This record gives sequence, structure tokens and C-alpha cells, in this order.
Amino acid sequence: MPVTKVLTAGIGEVDLRNIEVYRSRGGYAQWERAVKTLSPADVLKTAQDSGLRGRGGAGFPTGRKWQFLPANGKPRYLVCNCDEAEPGTFKDHMLLEEAPHLVLEGILLGAYGIGAHHAFIYIRGEFKRGYQIFCEALQAARQAGYLGANVFGSGYDLEVTVHRGAGAYICGEETGLLNSLEGKRGEPRLKPPFPAVEGLYGCPTVVNNVETLAYLVPIMEKGAAWFAAVGSEQSKGYKIVSISGHVRNPGNYEVAMGTPVAELIEIAGGLRPGRKLAAVQPGGGSSACIFDEHLDWGYDYESMTKAGSMLGSGAVVVFDDTTDFVAAAYNLVRFYSHESCGQCTPCREGGHWLERVLERFVAGRGVRGDLEMMHRISSNITGLNLCPLGDSIEPFLKSVLDRFPAQFEARIARETVPA
Amino acid sequence: MSDHATGNDLLRPECERIIAQYEEKRSALLPLAHLFQEHEGYVSREALRVIAQMLELTPAVVESTVSFYSLFFRKPVGKYVLQVCRGLSCSINGAPEIMAYLRRKLGIGSLETTEDGLFSYEEVECLAACDRATCMQVNLEFVYSLTPQMIDEMLAAMRAGTYPVAPMARTDSPPRTWKIEPQAQVATGRRTAGATDVPSADDPGGVGDRSGVIMLDRFVDKTAAFRDRTSERLARDPAAVLHVLEEEDAGH
Repeated sequence: MPVTKVLTAGIGEVDLRNIEVYRSRGGYAQWERAVKTLSPADVLKTAQDSGLRGRGGAGFPTGRKWQFLPANGKPRYLVCNCDEAEPGTFKDHMLLEEAPHLVLEGILLGAYGIGAHHAFIYIRGEFKRGYQIFCEALQAARQAGYLGANVFGSGYDLEVTVHRGAGAYICGEETGLLNSLEGKRGEPRLKPPFPAVEGLYGCPTVVNNVETLAYLVPIMEKGAAWFAAVGSEQSKGYKIVSISGHVRNPGNYEVAMGTPVAELIEIAGGLRPGRKLAAVQPGGGSSACIFDEHLDWGYDYESMTKAGSMLGSGAVVVFDDTTDFVAAAYNLVRFYSHESCGQCTPCREGGHWLERVLERFVAGRGVRGDLEMMHRISSNITGLNLCPLGDSIEPFLKSVLDRFPAQFEARIARETVPA
Repeated sequence: MSDHATGNDLLRPECERIIAQYEEKRSALLPLAHLFQEHEGYVSREALRVIAQMLELTPAVVESTVSFYSLFFRKPVGKYVLQVCRGLSCSINGAPEIMAYLRRKLGIGSLETTEDGLFSYEEVECLAACDRATCMQVNLEFVYSLTPQMIDEMLAAMRAGTYPVAPMARTDSPPRTWKIEPQAQVATGRRTAGATDVPSADDPGGVGDRSGVIMLDRFVDKTAAFRDRTSERLARDPAAVLHVLEEEDAGH
């Protein structure tokens, strides 16, 4: 199965930031059609029938997420999550900068599908360039009459607000994002209530990833059946996979769900000459590694889960046999320790102490018993926090501890901690 | 917006435009902090207080929120803020060497600023450009696939003032262009601890006693204690006299 360009079509070939170029390729036609001829329920049904699942990490079925919104007379909000910060993921960054109108059309369709009159896009603070590009696209679309009051004379009002984050990984978690959007510290909320019931300003809210919303455009154009025909049993359609690490041509590649992992590595140019594969992290920094024995498995939600990992945000990091997995584990644990918001003790303290222990290993001063202690600390973090950040610390560490114990043991220098 | 907010004429229209985008004005907190940082180079204490006034929050709430986010600087930084990615994909593709090179060239470590005020340096988490490792941001503009040679050229251009990215706003000159009028602090009615729900803007609250003890005595009907403490307070803070005497006259 080769690369299939759906969302990535035209990127790197034409200037999709230009609204005329985007329009000449059929851009905004689905939005116009939806507003003029379809009801929100039609859009929702199409999203649901397509089998589209959230592309931000959790993989929740998009249509079902929309259905949870109660009809309680309160305003509804759609929030596009462009706070991409999962280590190894760089697809939303590309879509935002290279195809801003596609992202916007997806937001418009999503907002219409849930009956929202105000949509937001939360853009990671570091994406300053992307923010400017998107603001310009939004301005052009507004001038063209694609949003605002009474869109296409249909009587439907829709406003879109661009909101910049300011450097906090945790704001990618949807309730942390909503708090941040409300002008608060980006600390995740206790759930339930879920955002569908009490989200932004206490109103029913859907938070969808950039890529998820963008896929609504081709799905509306080609039909739910077109999308659902591709992929595996539980993973329909296409996915942009961000491939990086020890490959020759790292980049974003759009493939059908279920493409074998080995093929993904080949698509990215394969390993460097003379190197052998050691491990693949298939779903961003939060996911456990998979190994040689999983290479012919399909890259889809269910297979990656079965392999003991997850598809996550679709960030594939490839490690060859030169990798220092002690340093790699330290790098990721330090990341989560740094990004913990500090609300929950297991995550705040556990992450910090794991980081300290691993720091010792990186310096070659590990203590006998540390390996067992790291297992114990991590098992006391997972599942005990308000949000999934804490649960993200253990998988990579555990998978490489189990697979490459020799690398860790080689750094044990002492039998006990000196008194 | 509070009548007492005195953000300068330059920023006020933009602040109002930002606030109007949201159903609840507190949502404008991050955008306003971005705006002030763009103009001042960092989020100063004065900026925090102006934001607090505009959003009808306490400065402490604004400070707590701003401090949560790593892109907001709470003190002056260099003209060029260099933020190198230390994420995993960059790390296995040369980031440690690039970072060591930069630290040596600049003579500073992460989260430090050079003595001449030209450079601030920070090692940051994954910047979402793993396909072009090692990457960094200069005042939030991306630079990809770094090499030592590129770094030499960049630093030289920055020193010569020819680097194409706009420098951070300078924090030493010109002097800050906004200020808070002293009176506005009292009028927001939110300054005094223990008296956050002061009924009106004209009510002096705890006459500036941050402990809130005076107000507490008043609420629990310890009239004598209230009078004693108020007198004590008046002796220390003549400015409060007028408010309290007026209250007494009104029969409180």
C-alpha cells in the first residue's frame, strides 16, 4: 500500500494558503453544500457512518463524540485542538501552515454538524508562524462570506476565534485546553462531567483534533462509504503518520489505516546503511515500543493495542541499534516530569523521582535495586491521575526496560546508595 | 471594562478587540499576556496589573495563570531568545551536540541570558518539527536542520543586527508606555484579602489592611474590636481616614 494523498494532496506543490488556489481545487464547496442543502444531522450522520476516529491520540469515534451533546438549550461550542506537542508528532503543524483553508473548512463543517455558532481553534503557542498563516486564511474566508452572520444567506451564523496557547503540553488534554481557553491555568478537570455536557463556559462542547476535522472535508465530498471502505475493522480511512528518528527520509506520510509497520519504515526511506532496527515507538511519546516481531502488523488502532502499545497521534519514531535506550527513557520521563501540571501527586512526584533515578543511570551511577524501584514507582503512577499524562510515563520506560535490560544493568555502578 | 484601567492608548483598542472575541472576558488572559509581552519583551508586574484590571481579576490570579505557561517571561530576556529542541527525535539526531555547541558559543546555560543582553538560551521540549532535526526557534521563528556552521552564521548576523527575525522588544528603553493610576487599585474593590466581595467600587473594603481582620470584625459584629483596629490602622495609614470617617457618619 503506497502513500495516498488526501489531506496532503497539493502540499509542497501548490500554494494552498491562497484561498483562490484552494477554491480552484474544490475548496469550500463542501461547506457551501452543507450549509445550503444539508442539515446538521446529515453532517453528523456522514461523520458517524465514515467510522472516523479522533486523530489526536485517544481515537474516540468522532460521530459518537458529537452525539453526546445534550439538547439543553445552552450554546454549543466546537474547539479545534491544534496544541500539537506529543513528542514525535508534527502533522498538525504541517496542516496548519500548509493547508490552513482545509483546516478551517473542517472546523466549519464540524461546527455545523453539532449546531455550534462559535468555534475556536487553540493553536500551540510555539506555532507563531502557523498562527499568522491561519489568521490570514480566516480573514480571507471571512471576506469571501464563508463565516460570520447569515452564511450564504442560509440564516446560519458562525464565528471562529483563533486562540494561542503559551507553552504547556498539558493543554493538549481536552479539559486542560478548555481551562486554558477560559483564561485559567491549563490544569485538566475532573471527569465527569465530560466536555460534551459541561465544556467551555459550562456549555456542551466538542474538542476535535486538527486532522480529524480536516478529514471531514474529503468525507463530505466523497461520501462516508469511500472512507469506511479503506482500513481495517475498527480503523477506517487514512492517517497522516509522522515518521522520524533513525530513518533516511523523515516526514509526514499519509497512508491507509492498516499499512504494515515495516512498510511505513520503507516509505520513510528505510534505515541508514549498515544499521539494524532496535525498536519502533508507534504512537508518540506516550506509547510503548514495539519490536521486530510486530513489523508485519498493520498500523491501526486495534493492532497497535494488541501489540501492547497504541496508535496515539500517529507519531512513529524509529530507533536503530545505535540507540542508547537509557538516555531515550530519561529524555521522555524528563519530558513528562517537566510537563506535569502538578495537580495529582502520583504524576507530579512519581515523574520527578523517576527522572532523578534515570539521571543517575545516564551518568553511569545506577544502584542495584533501581530497576526494580523504577518498575515500582511507575506502577504507582499509572491509572491514578485525573488525566492521561501520568499514565504516559510508564509505557516507553517499561517497554525498553523489559527489552534492553542489559543497557540499564551496564550503568549500575554501586550495590547500595552510600550512606 | 473597568473605568480605571489605564493601559496606554496604543494597546487599548487591540485589548478591547481581543476581549470582545470571547463570551467571557477572562478568556482574553493569554492573548493579552502575549500582546504585552510582544510590546515589552516580557510580562512585567505592571502588565499583570493592567491585565487584571481589564479582566476584573486580582493580579494574583493573573500571575498564577501566567506563571503556568512557559512561553511567558516574567523578567527581561535577551534580544534573541534561542530555544533549541531537546525532544527525543532531535536528541537521537544530533541535538546534544548542537546544544553543547551553542552553550559553548554563548557561554551560558539553559534559561540564562548573556551579559550583553543579546541572547537568551533555553532547551525546550519537542517543537513538532522532528522531520527536520535538530530544530530551534529564534523568537518563535523556526530554524531547521541545524549545523554548527549555521549557528556560527546566525550568531554573527544577530550580533551585526542583520538577522532577518525581529528582535524581542527591548525592556530597558524606551520606558514602559503604560501605567496604573494609584486610585484605580482601590476602586476595583478587590485588593483586600478577606474582602473580595466588597459591595461597590466606592467601598474601601478593608481600608487597605491586607489581613482582612478589620472587615472580619465588622462582619461578626465585634464593634469595639472593629473600632480599635480601625483606629490603629488609621494611625498607620492617613490616606484611609476619609473613607472610614464617612462610613462612621453614615451610621455603620
